[in-house]
Amino acid sequence: MRRMMAICNKELQAYFLSPTSYFAFAVYVLMTSLLFYSSFVYYQPSIVDYRLVLGDTLSMLLFVVPLLTMRLVAEEFRQGTDELLLTSPARVTEVIFGKYLASLAILIVLILCSLVYPFIMSFFGTLDLTSVWLSALGLFFLGGSMMAIGLFASTLSQHQMVSAVAGFIILLVLWMLDSFAGNTGSALQQWLDPFALTNRFDSFTKGVLSGPDILYYVTLSGVFLLLSIQIVERKRWR
Amino acid sequence: MLEVKQVSKEYDGRRGVHQLDFTMERGEIVGFLGPNGAGKTTTMRMITGYLQPTAGSIVVDGQSVHDQGRAVRSKIGYLPETPPLYPDMTVQSYLKFVAKLRDVPAREIKLRVSEMVSRLGLQEREKQLVRGLSKGYKQRLGLAGAIIHKPDLLVLDEPTSGLDPNQIIEIRDLIRELGENHTVLLSTHILPEVSTLCNRMLIINQGQLVLDGSPQHFGSSMGDQFKVSIEVKATEQQLHNLLTPWEKVRSEVIQPSDGNSDTEQQETVKMLLTGESPDDFREELFYLLSGAGLPILEMKKENLSLEQIFLKLTTTESDAGSSGTHDLVMEESADSPTEEESK
Repeated sequence: MRRMMAICNKELQAYFLSPTSYFAFAVYVLMTSLLFYSSFVYYQPSIVDYRLVLGDTLSMLLFVVPLLTMRLVAEEFRQGTDELLLTSPARVTEVIFGKYLASLAILIVLILCSLVYPFIMSFFGTLDLTSVWLSALGLFFLGGSMMAIGLFASTLSQHQMVSAVAGFIILLVLWMLDSFAGNTGSALQQWLDPFALTNRFDSFTKGVLSGPDILYYVTLSGVFLLLSIQIVERKRWR
Repeated sequence: MLEVKQVSKEYDGRRGVHQLDFTMERGEIVGFLGPNGAGKTTTMRMITGYLQPTAGSIVVDGQSVHDQGRAVRSKIGYLPETPPLYPDMTVQSYLKFVAKLRDVPAREIKLRVSEMVSRLGLQEREKQLVRGLSKGYKQRLGLAGAIIHKPDLLVLDEPTSGLDPNQIIEIRDLIRELGENHTVLLSTHILPEVSTLCNRMLIINQGQLVLDGSPQHFGSSMGDQFKVSIEVKATEQQLHNLLTPWEKVRSEVIQPSDGNSDTEQQETVKMLLTGESPDDFREELFYLLSGAGLPILEMKKENLSLEQIFLKLTTTESDAGSSGTHDLVMEESADSPTEEESK
């Protein structure tokens, strides 16, 4: 536990010092505020609904998450510091979870940033607060599983850019899973639909907190974290 | 303390280490020698748990690296060839991080960090970023990280490589000091390092152990003869007449005089003289030759040194003169580095 926290702290420090994370935040804030401007401030819709804004900003995560996770493990391999971690008494599980925890902390900051929009909106009408808070929670679950996928991509290479691209591709495939099947209503589409990354998110925005949705995101994170652990552990058996 | 039993490591179609077998007792400083690519780093990585052997087992202090990996890893301090440092951390935060990672009790961390800082002479650099440190300081910081949890066994992979001669001496002194309380396995391809630091050496070549013993022992057993090479202004015949009656010294011509001995031109002969005992006979030799009116142009004591043993063991007939052995640093006077620096 202490070792895991040590690793988490180290990663947070690295986030704080790395220009990439500032860049990722800047991109996220800039793009989401532009989208906010175009869909809310410019059009001035008659109803005040956070969902109108949220849907557009969601896709920004696709670009931001790989930027935030690409460094996590790839950089250890490149610097040779994996030799320190793997020869220390820490388990690989502790190393990976420590890193994941740090990425979740960053995710929370990211979500807090995006809560500025419902705050502004609340001056123009009454917001459905339940939906706002559940959307934030949904964002946490969705973002959390995306971070796990990004972390997994980071174990695949010692080059950050390769990791980022790999992460982006995996995320994109999972994101568009339901639309790959073509016609809506086809059997394949119906089968793939529950596995698509964002479909589960919609129920959160509707103000519904359902067990299977949470389970989906937690499982998705778990699977990719487990894969990451296996890949790092496998280094010992080269 | 450490038992390496029949350990082999195969990489994809390439043999890393083959049936390596040795043990180390507590308190020993063992030098691990071999040309580049012989399997030193692979062996060290297997001992520290970074790599798993393909076959065989490694036991540290009664616990198997394979089965009780974490317990074993907490007993080992390891400094890889390139110290595993985070360039964006400060010296102090790096040491704190490593201390936590290596299970140093929370209340001791502060004390241990400051102890390491002063012991390795990092006082002025505590707040400095690692990326700004010189190679020597990086090495020291890596070493500090390797010993911060007071490990029983210290594994150092070429701790002095890439350092300037002054730094080499500092690091060596430090290792000697550490050897008083720790068991140390260090790899190097600088031979004099082994004779100055270690009480035992292992020579490995192409993944196999070719020699195991103390450097002093090998120095004396192979060097129980005193060897001198000389260059004398004389003919071979003259020297032969003079030296043959001298029973305790065997002589052999290395470079004969240049052919045409019937000309009047004075010639020089190079010879290797081997004494039957390890006693120094250079003085006698001087008077003998000067008495005969034969000027000595050059006289040099031949060290039948580690280098020769090493070359003999790590070079096979077929690849004699090629591969590996060229990477060897033949550092005759390892302890007079200032000369080199001033050049």
